[in-house]
This record gives sequence, structure tokens and C-alpha cells, in this order.
Amino acid sequence: MIPFADYLRGLRRDDDLVAITDGQRDDVPVDVLAAEALDGNGPALRFERDDGVDLASGVFSGPDQMHCRESAPWSRLSLGLGLDVEAPLVDLLDTVVCLGPTGTPEKTTYTPQAASRTLEDLQALSFPRGVDDTWPVISLGVASITTDDGTHWAPVYGVVVSTDTLRVRVPASLASLSDDGDTVAIALGVPPAAITAAYLLAVADRVETPIQETGVEGAVPLVPTNGGRVPSATEVVVEATVADSQPDFEPDRREAWEHAVAGASLALDVTRVVATDDPVVPISPVGQPMADDLQLTGLTTAAHLYHRVNNYWGISPVEWLLLPPSTELGVCFVASDVLYAGFEWQLANILFSFSSLFDTVVIVDDDVPSWDFGRVLSDIWVKAHPSRDWLFSEPDAPAAKRPNYRQDGTTGARLYVDATWDPRWDDSYLAPRVTFGKSFPESVRELAREFWSARGLEPADCDPIADDLDGDSTG
Amino acid sequence: MAVDSFRAYLDRLADGGDLAEFEAGVSWDLEASAITMLANQRDGPIPAFRSIAESETDAVLVGDPYRGSRERPWDRIARSLGMASDLSGADYYAAVIDRLSSPREPRVVDRPAAPCKEVVKTGGDVDLLSFPWPYIHQGDGGRYSNLQTLVAPAPDSEWGRWSSHRMMLHDETQASLLLLAGEQVPNLYYYQYERRDQPMPVAAVIGAEPAVEYSADMWIPSGRSEATFAGGLKEEPVDLVPCETSDLLVPASAELVIEGRVLPGERLDEGPFGDYFGYMNGPRRSMPTFEIDAITHRRAPRVPFCVEGSGVGYDRNSSSTLEVTAAGPDATLGLRAAGFDVEFAVPWRFTSRTVWVIATNCPYPGYLHELANFIFTTWGMLHIDFFVFVDADVDPFDPRAVLTAFALEADPDEDFHQFGVERMPKVPLNIYQTPDEKEGADVGTSKAKTAKAYVDATTDGERIRRHADEELRKRARAVIREAGVSGAEFGSDESRGETE
Repeated sequence: MIPFADYLRGLRRDDDLVAITDGQRDDVPVDVLAAEALDGNGPALRFERDDGVDLASGVFSGPDQMHCRESAPWSRLSLGLGLDVEAPLVDLLDTVVCLGPTGTPEKTTYTPQAASRTLEDLQALSFPRGVDDTWPVISLGVASITTDDGTHWAPVYGVVVSTDTLRVRVPASLASLSDDGDTVAIALGVPPAAITAAYLLAVADRVETPIQETGVEGAVPLVPTNGGRVPSATEVVVEATVADSQPDFEPDRREAWEHAVAGASLALDVTRVVATDDPVVPISPVGQPMADDLQLTGLTTAAHLYHRVNNYWGISPVEWLLLPPSTELGVCFVASDVLYAGFEWQLANILFSFSSLFDTVVIVDDDVPSWDFGRVLSDIWVKAHPSRDWLFSEPDAPAAKRPNYRQDGTTGARLYVDATWDPRWDDSYLAPRVTFGKSFPESVRELAREFWSARGLEPADCDPIADDLDGDSTG
Repeated sequence: MAVDSFRAYLDRLADGGDLAEFEAGVSWDLEASAITMLANQRDGPIPAFRSIAESETDAVLVGDPYRGSRERPWDRIARSLGMASDLSGADYYAAVIDRLSSPREPRVVDRPAAPCKEVVKTGGDVDLLSFPWPYIHQGDGGRYSNLQTLVAPAPDSEWGRWSSHRMMLHDETQASLLLLAGEQVPNLYYYQYERRDQPMPVAAVIGAEPAVEYSADMWIPSGRSEATFAGGLKEEPVDLVPCETSDLLVPASAELVIEGRVLPGERLDEGPFGDYFGYMNGPRRSMPTFEIDAITHRRAPRVPFCVEGSGVGYDRNSSSTLEVTAAGPDATLGLRAAGFDVEFAVPWRFTSRTVWVIATNCPYPGYLHELANFIFTTWGMLHIDFFVFVDADVDPFDPRAVLTAFALEADPDEDFHQFGVERMPKVPLNIYQTPDEKEGADVGTSKAKTAKAYVDATTDGERIRRHADEELRKRARAVIREAGVSGAEFGSDESRGETE
């Protein structure tokens, strides 16, 4: 378990986080800076503020895959979950899944609460107000409540409407577990494993499962609060009571998990605010391209679906699965072994059954590596026959939740693109790829490598190294 | 000022640190192309091989000389045309369109003034195999010249018709030419010369000056001439010189000119070849026979070639770069000239000859159908399978913006339109048809027809504003730069945003 503050230090050590002081900020709102850094595939930012809590943006997101880059969109989160920053996507997906109900709960570890300083009220934290926002906002929080079954976690975001009043959005399934007068804790600046677990429970619609029955139990040291238990290392804990479980509140923007599951509003009266001595909390430029909440929703949904499809037919044909932030969760990409003719139809339609986010699925062959998204964006149009492999369902499917069209509930068609080789084809029909590994014998490859090495031209970070091995790695 | 020869282009590359010259001996047999492919993968300099083993001439092989960088593929091309090197994609397109709008007639020079006549070989002195044509990929059907301009007669222009067709070498005097019916020069051969049982005179021009190479990659309508558009591109007339064995005129500054005839009724094997899809496209097919009558060239000719198939996904090569930098602006101009309200037509960077993105307004119902119909029946007929239409204010040079529009706006129920399902012609180079479906056609297109599709990823109604206002964004980028963050996305505001 890596505390949030340590995680930020790790990012900074890797030159993947840049600090911006109030003096440098030139009065540009932090949400605009956060959005611009993500839109430009830049590093995470830490806003070192003279007044109020420090803020960190982009820490759960990363660069897109539209170019060959040093790191993947999920590299930062991999680091946050204790993996190597270059860990394959599937290692991350497996790690994420293990934080949820699928994981094995271990003995709870209790450690003292890092946030030991009681603040006068929310005002002391001076949460940022976005350029288009009415009130200061909080985002990327974990809401924790206690029921007879245990502690329940879910993602939370909201606005600060006064020194002691919050209006927040949580999954409706969490709101349904609480009544007026119940206590709730909002943890801000939690370990990456904790926010990931909260998102996973939300997108998998398992918020009613107490964390005592999930893999995050034991993985993250906890501390009891007047709401539910929260990670001991949390930077800021806001304890509150539910003042109104059905307030008249519509946020200006919604975190991306609300595309996956229904949200609900709560009005909270703050009873206590505690923080570490030098608190820092994450923010997400909600609604902007590549935003942290979008990435977390995409990766946790991918982990959930990856696990479900790979345990559905008794075998694990799926190599990887992605809902890239560059498609805003509107398309699901999956690399799979096409076991038999028609399996691709099964795979696409089981994904439609498991998620209502998207109504387009793209299937690529299992030798396409997840890090080579450029190849995915080529194979769609090259390998898939324009009529035979772009396959539409009858027009009576419910509309997907994420896209902008048909949000009035009108039914329509779903689409899957089969960019895999037809398993019925004779092997001689399968066109060999043009790659460094396949187009030249090893002696020639070695000569070419030596030529460029002597001139200082080393492999790019996303070089298809596997081509040298005459095969492709996945993950 | 634009360069006026291929070797001047190489000098300009060298001046910019973009050329890596190798003096050590390299073989044409896979070695030159393997070194080039690594450069393509690593976004490295352009390799020039000065010493080719087992070559009878002092030719210099140049690997993928027109490859642009991954993020700004137009920079080298812009420099060759004397344009600023920090143009945005949109500004580069605007500059090229501006030049194409002012074509210039070429100038005919005498043979002694033509560098391409420094060495002239005819009759029994002709030996095609004396040049170090590269064997490019393991599994190719033979050695290729695949970065060349084919000069052919034009019924409606005294300057001839220029286009790009690769040739596979067979012996000292014969090669097969990839002529796919549906394109202008192949149509002229199949449906005019061959039907009259006449040989068609042609000249393969290798190492033509860049403006010639660029215009040969454009779809120039009948009645117009690539030669005049090349003059427009370089803002000076292109010098032409008569061939030795035909009436054709060829660019005088060319490195190497192969004159001959495409014989009627005669075919030679062509392919397999690692093609622009990134896959080997077998099986072998029969293609028209190019009988060589003369070869003229400069001393120590520079012979460019393209490692085809290496310009897909994240990587680039000459052909994928020329699609973006030459075919794209030309198509944009052509669509506007045809009355369509198009902002830009830009090849999809991951597979540039299969799918294009068109940012356009939609002034009336049915407009996109008309636009797709126009393209699929003209220049988009053979190679392009898909068009993705996005709103005019979506940046088609930004693949993430396009992908987002595709994901959020293209409704599977009503925005995917298949044109004439399995009724349309297709080049046999594709990999989604079976060999049975591809082979057996005698004019270069697949035996089986295919479909074309367009995707309407435009917004139905008002597009949701995502970003803060531009002035605030500029200030934000400046703050991020000041904090020490570098990279194209945080570079100067003039060039930002239009990087691919």
C-alpha cells in the first residue's frame, strides 16, 4: 500500500510530476491547468498553494496512446498500486480486480490516523473553484459509511456550499444504504489502491459489498471514523451527517463513473475536518479529455470486464481489454483468441451484456499488444472487411449510456468490428505482417541494429521489441 | 525557395541534420531496407548508402527520403518547398493549397542542359540490373523500384500524365509494372493501348525533384497536368527534357530515367510484396510487362526507395508521409473545387491509404452521402475503404479528437453507411479478401468486389463545449512551459494543436 503523499513523491522522482506554485500559476484556475496538462499528454501537476490544501492533478491518468510514448495511460496508476511503472496492462487489470470482491480479504491492519490535525472548517482547506463552477469542488474522494454488514466505499465528488455544508454525488447504491442523520466519512488523498477499489466497487455495481469482503481489506491499513473506516494514511478526512438524502442538487459536471452507474445526491453537514500537517489531495478536471476520473472509470471497468469474460467460459481467451480515455469509454477494445467461428460474436455480445457504457466493440487478434494501440487503430480498417466484418445488431438494443446519441432512450443497433483472422481460413490465407522481426533474417537485423547503435540511434520507448523475437508479446 | 533536384533535397536534409550517410558497404539484399525500417521505427534520420555491395554502378541508395517525423510529418516536405518549418498542419495544408492554386507551365530544356542525360545508354547497353535495386522484404517476389514517377502519354496534355506505380525487376530489360485498372494511367493502357494492340510508351523517373514526386501522388483531374501543379508547388517551372526513344518529356533534374514500352497482351509476375497495409499481400499476380529501351542518368545517381508496410501504426515511411502531405492537401482543394464545404481532408495517420478523415460542414440533408459518393467514384475508388466525417471544428490532424468523435457521435444505428455492399472494385493488395477472391483478374482489380463505407461522426445538434476559452488555455500552456514542461503539445502556440 502506497500512501498518496508517497505516491506523489514517486511520481516526482520519476520526473512525472511537476510542481506549480501560486506565484507561477498567474491566476490561471487549477482546473484549466490540470485539463491542459492532460490534454497535452504532460506530467501530473502539484499545485503548491499558499492558502489551503495542496492539490495534485493528473495523478491517476496519463498520456494517450495516439503516439509512441515513454509511458502508457495506466503507467502512473501502476506505480500507485505497487507495480513497475512499465508493468503490462494485464498485470494492472489483475491487480485492480484483486482489490474488489474477487480478491482475498486479509487481516485488517489498523494504524494511527495520519490526518491528526483538526481544522476549524472546510474553509481552511480552500478547495478550488473551477472556471465554470459555482462553488468550490472536491473530486476523487472515497465516501465511507457503516452498515450492519461492515464498511462500504464508493467514489464521491461534490461542492462546498458553505463552511460546513457539502453537496455530493455518490452511487445511488451507496445513498440507498444511508438515511438522514447517518454519518459518512469522506476521505480525500487516499492511497491509490483505495480510490481504485472504490471505483471498482462502483462500476461493478458492488457497493453493497462491504470492504471487509474485498481484497482492499488488509491491503490498505485502516482507521475507524465517525463515518466508516477510511485508509489510515488519508490526507484529509471530512466527517459529516446526512442532512438530506434527496436534496435538490444537480452538479455542473459529473465524474465519469456516473456514466456506468446511477448516481444520487446527498446534502451533508460537516461535523469534523482533520488533515495531515501538509495535506495534498487529488483533483480531476471532470468532463475534460483524459481526466483522472475518466481514466479510473475506464481502467476499473476494463478490469471488471476482463475478469468476467475470462472466467465465463471456463477458459481465458481474452489477452487484454481496454476502454481508452481517448474514446471516452464509448468503445471497448478487446484482444482475444478467436476460439472458433462465431466466438467473436459471443465475445462482443457478452460484453454488451456486462456493460451498458458502450455499444461498439472492436476485437483484434490476441497477438496485438496492448501497448501498440497504433496497430489496433490500423487493423480495424485493414483487417476487417468493410461489409462482412463490421457487424450490426437488430435495431432494438437499448442505447449505450456513454455516447451522446440516443440519450432519449430510443433503441438502436449495436456494432462490433471483427479485426481478427477468420478461424475458418486456411493458414496460407493469413497475410504475414511486415515487421522488423518478420521481414529480415536475424543476421540482417543485427547488422541494422549495429549500424544505428554506432550512430547513437537507440530504440524508441515503444519500439516493438517483440518483433526482434519474431513474435509479439501481449499485455 | 524550393529545392530543384532530389540531391538538393538530400543536401537540405543534411543541413538540417536529418540525413545519415553510410560509407561502409551495405547490400541491396535486405540490408539497406532493414536499416531503413529501423530508422522509420525510431524516428531517426534518413539513411543514404554510398557504397552498395555487388553493384556495377556508383549509385547511392536512399531509404525512405520523404518520411516525416511521427508528430509533424509535413516539416521535411515544407522545408523542401521553401516553407517555414514550424507550420501547423492546417497552415501547411493552406500553404500547399495556395501554391496548387497557381499552377505554372513547365519549361522544355535541351538535352545537354539536362542533368539526367549525363549518362545515356540505349540498345544493347541497357542493363537494368546494373543498378542496386533493393530487395526490400523477405518474401517479396523480387527486387523493386517503388519510389518513382511513371510518365505516360496524356490525351489531353502535352506534358504527359505522371503517377506512382512500382515496378518489379525481372531481367536486364524487363520489369512488371503494378497497373491497377481504375487509375488514369492503367486505364489508358488497358482500355486504349492494349485494346488497339499498341505498346504504351512510358518512362520511370527515379529521384525526380521533390515537387514532381509530390504532384505524382496527387489526383489531378483530366485536362490538367501534374507538371503544371509541380511548378505551382515549387513556384517555378519544372524543367522537362525529351526522352531518347519516345516523345515523352521527363523531369530534367531526375537522377535516373528508364524509358520503354508497356507491351500489349504480355504479362509478368508481380508480388508478393510487403505492402502499405503493413502485411504481405500475396499471392503473385500477373501485371503488364515493361520493356526497357533506354536508361539515362546522372553520375552517381541517388536511388530512393520505400520500405513499404513500415508506415502503419505509429511509424511512418515515405508513402504514408506523402499521403498526408501531398494527397491530403490536393484532396482538400479538389473537394472544395467540387463545391463541398470541406475544411480539411486528411488521411488517418495509422493507415493512411485505407481511411481518411474529412472535417466538414453539413449544409443540407444528404450532403455526406453526396460527398462520399463523389469521392468513392473518383480518387477514393480503389484504395480507400472508409471515410470518417467529423464536424468542421474537429481537428482532423488530432487522432484523439477524431477517435472521440467516432466513439461519442457515430451511432451504429444510423451513422454507418455501407456503399453498394460487395459491389465496388478493390485492389488485390488488400488482406481481408481470400486469395480466391483476389486472383484471376486481368486488369489489376480483385476478382471479387467489395464494399466501401462512411462513418458520420458529426454531431447531431450542438456540440458540447469541452475546453476553457482559448486565451485561458494559452496562458495555461505558458504556465506549464514555465514550470519546465517541454514537448510539442506545450510548444509555441502557433504550431500547437495541429500536431498529428
